[in-house]
Amino acid sequence: MKVKINGQELEAREGETILELCLRHDIPIPHLCYHPAFGGQGACRMCLVELKEPGRVNNRLVASCTYPIHSSVEVTTESERVHRLRRNIVMLLARRASQNPWMKELVEQYGAPSLPPVQTEPADCILCGLCNHACEKMGKTAIWSMFRGIEKRIATPYDEAADECMGCAACAQICPTQAIKVEEDAATRTIWNKKFELVACRRCGKNFATREQIEYMRESSGYEVDELCDHCRKLTLAQNVRHYSR
Amino acid sequence: MSAKIKENNYDQQTVLVCCGTGCTANGGRKVYEAFVEKVKDHTEWKVQPILKSTGCNGWCEKGPLVRIMPRDITYCSVTPKDVDEIINKTLLEGSLVKRLLYRDPVTKEHLSSHHQTDFYRKQHKVALRNIGEIDPGRIEDYIERGGYQALALALHNMSGQEVIDAVKASGLRGRGGGGFPTGVKWQSCKDAPGQPKYIICNGDEGDPGAFMDRSIMEGDPHTVIEGMILGAYAVGASQGFIYVRDEYDLAVQYLGKAIEDARSHGYLGPNILNSGFSFDIEIVRGGGAFVCGEETALIASIEGRTGEPKDKYIFPSEKGLWGQPTVINNVETWANVPVIILHGADSFASIGTSGSKGTKVFSLVGKVVNTGLVEVPMGTTLREIIFEIGGGVLKKRKFKAVQTGGPSGGCIPEELLDLPIDFDSLTQAGSMMGSGGLIVMDDHTCMVEVARYYVNFLAGESCGKCTPCREGIRALLEILTRICNGEGRPEDVEMLEEISTTMQEASLCALGRTAPNPVLSTLRYFRDEYLAHIEQHKCPAGVCRNLTTFYIDADACTGCGLCKKQCSVDAIQGEKKETHVIDESLCIRCGECFRNCAFNAVKIR
Amino acid sequence: MQINPQEYAEASRYESLIKSYPGRPQYILAIMQDLQKQYNYLPRLALTMISSHVGVPVSKIYAMASFYKAFSLTPKGRFVFRVCDGTACHIKGSETLLDQLYQHLGIKAGQTTEDGQFSLETVNCLGACALAPVVVVNGKVYGKVKPGDLEEIIRECGGQCHVS
Repeated sequence: MKVKINGQELEAREGETILELCLRHDIPIPHLCYHPAFGGQGACRMCLVELKEPGRVNNRLVASCTYPIHSSVEVTTESERVHRLRRNIVMLLARRASQNPWMKELVEQYGAPSLPPVQTEPADCILCGLCNHACEKMGKTAIWSMFRGIEKRIATPYDEAADECMGCAACAQICPTQAIKVEEDAATRTIWNKKFELVACRRCGKNFATREQIEYMRESSGYEVDELCDHCRKLTLAQNVRHYSR
Repeated sequence: MSAKIKENNYDQQTVLVCCGTGCTANGGRKVYEAFVEKVKDHTEWKVQPILKSTGCNGWCEKGPLVRIMPRDITYCSVTPKDVDEIINKTLLEGSLVKRLLYRDPVTKEHLSSHHQTDFYRKQHKVALRNIGEIDPGRIEDYIERGGYQALALALHNMSGQEVIDAVKASGLRGRGGGGFPTGVKWQSCKDAPGQPKYIICNGDEGDPGAFMDRSIMEGDPHTVIEGMILGAYAVGASQGFIYVRDEYDLAVQYLGKAIEDARSHGYLGPNILNSGFSFDIEIVRGGGAFVCGEETALIASIEGRTGEPKDKYIFPSEKGLWGQPTVINNVETWANVPVIILHGADSFASIGTSGSKGTKVFSLVGKVVNTGLVEVPMGTTLREIIFEIGGGVLKKRKFKAVQTGGPSGGCIPEELLDLPIDFDSLTQAGSMMGSGGLIVMDDHTCMVEVARYYVNFLAGESCGKCTPCREGIRALLEILTRICNGEGRPEDVEMLEEISTTMQEASLCALGRTAPNPVLSTLRYFRDEYLAHIEQHKCPAGVCRNLTTFYIDADACTGCGLCKKQCSVDAIQGEKKETHVIDESLCIRCGECFRNCAFNAVKIR
Repeated sequence: MQINPQEYAEASRYESLIKSYPGRPQYILAIMQDLQKQYNYLPRLALTMISSHVGVPVSKIYAMASFYKAFSLTPKGRFVFRVCDGTACHIKGSETLLDQLYQHLGIKAGQTTEDGQFSLETVNCLGACALAPVVVVNGKVYGKVKPGDLEEIIRECGGQCHVS
């Protein structure tokens, strides 16, 4: 399927979204809730682009992360109209994480006016939903978006320690505003109101996973897990390869 | 109209007791039970009358309504105590109980049938054609009035495509809000590859102030079912779902019975009427979420997820429920389908305007004399509906605005009352048809507070998924609340507009895109009122409490004592026939005295 | 998960209700409706049981329970005052009724009195607009309610009004 992006003709793959096509060709479109691992949600609306569909007179605004290319459309990724909307979206979102450096950069970039801050739970959460999708991808879904409307927030059921949570902190790592708090000391990690025992790498001695994570890996793979951190695992693997190839 | 009927020539009489929501709340069910009990006590019947409890007649203001057929007598505001008299005088002797008849407020004449009243005379019943006439619990009643004939006709004499062509030719547009052409939607589903296909009836009526779908489901469930079977046959679907608000107990109950009866009569299930076509329907009880009126959210809800909408770049008619082609129409739309097939597309298309065919059911509520359900041809003006059918503004107060389309609609001012209403004219006026709520507001309604009310409603009803809707509503609510509290700032009006237009353009679903309509329409037509709040710190309607102080004008007060009686906090003092006084320190500013004073002696400072 | 005898008894009460539906996500709403009707709220243990019956994570079950307005996550009072806040009721003074109920009972919409006697809720339009403003107490409909009528309604339910 041939499409035009900002006047440039490109070939879209079957079922590809506008955002995916653009990212593949290094055409920047801002996006907060899209991640290559789980696709677009159409939630943040930062990735809005102007679209001209064949047979239609007026340009339409679509979320590029969810719009599947199915006809030879013409896309404009930057325009005054799009910029104004992105600026206002940043203005509305920035209130949720007003002190966050990354958010401050966005505000500056778009010249967004400032509104009084809003207290969110957890603090600084912009509800992009990346964390709960990451958790689902890990096979756990310990957190999800609860309630609705202006009360909507990411949480565990009853805001208590969830059986499903294994403390992997994938949610915290993917969070763009560091809203999910991970507390660690020498032997434990606390996240989402749950405390985990940390396991040290048997080679370098650094903590690398929670006891529950190792248990989960063992269960899902069916093998005993060698308690090695990522770095040491690669080293060991490399040594083994060298050993066998000799 | 003569109040005496000479002889009782009627062998078979039928007593229809309205047990719609309004009448039931007023005791309609008890009236019906009294009839059942007392008709048995009499032995002198030539032919014992048939008793039926019916769905909503629409004239809720005058309920409970009791109708006697075939003489077409309507009694208003009937209580169980009146039942003896109705049986003795009307059913046995054949005379009228004059005091229970409706009295025309202008001519002062007693009218024996509701069909003679202004409320009904101007109506044109299509979707509501059976309601009030039949017992919704009896399939026989529906069949007797031509029910399931359209189905037989279609199954034996028409192809699926011919059914779709008829719906297209009729010009029927979706009654749920958007007004999308129904035939086009069906065609897209029929043409989409993939089996099974699904049919959904959207009965998740959630607009505050709208209850037409409820009345149809409760009063004539089979018409919805027949419409769905016709739609299923047209597009080639095998399974249907009716998504109903669980609060609508009676609707769930009647629909359930209707589905069972339709099955046992061979209208649902395998090989319907020996045509080889099979289709069945399941009821899904909704969980209470306004956003589920949105198609993709409704689908998510039926699938067993939270009702969050998705971008509709591919329509549900191609990929809907469980990824399969799905037709979703609302209750009133389905109710029109059997009529179109049975009486022909032309007859349906002869009603209405060029762009909007057929009739529309409105629930006429608020500060209007005759509250209730009305069905009128598209193109009827707001003035006709409110002043002729509705009988004008309550207590002869000044009309200020009519809100149409619920939280997605807007407020229409007096200048536009002669607007012939259809899908397009309302959209142009900055409102929308929505599901058909018409809420009449008088000069005691504050338009800023109305906008705040709708935004507050949406703050709890938005799904919260996309930024513009969730955060936009939050910001609008903060600003509107501030203005109502007397803390509005000069820059607020501009900010309201900026956020509103962003929501319209950037939101994910129709809820978010239309959410600012109540704000924008009141800003468009009642900007002065916003400015009065912000600049003069006044609420001209006397609603916003921080901006309102009531006092009694000594010159106008007659000392009738009504306000004193109405006051729930004893803040009003005064002797009979002497000027009354409001104690400001006790007054909670509820406005009861202000609204009720017959001499306009209660004033706002 | 460890189950104590008390929980076991509780679980067996919910089990027949939950198992009366096929174990597919499309029946979650129906199961919740039934539980809500029977117990006036969604017990925590039941949510876990629904989760394993339909094969959907507890977090998503809880998300649904918190999303849909028909469900309550905490037990409700013996008398549930539902004040209709549909538009017709709103412009005819439902807000004043809520204020008065707060004065009398000390609870706001969504709350339950400490003694578990009264809950206060606002509901979207009940379709009884002709009777606006409407208050429904345990299914009984009161139409055209005036602020002054509330004390009497509360007394009918055996309640005491706080001094306002």
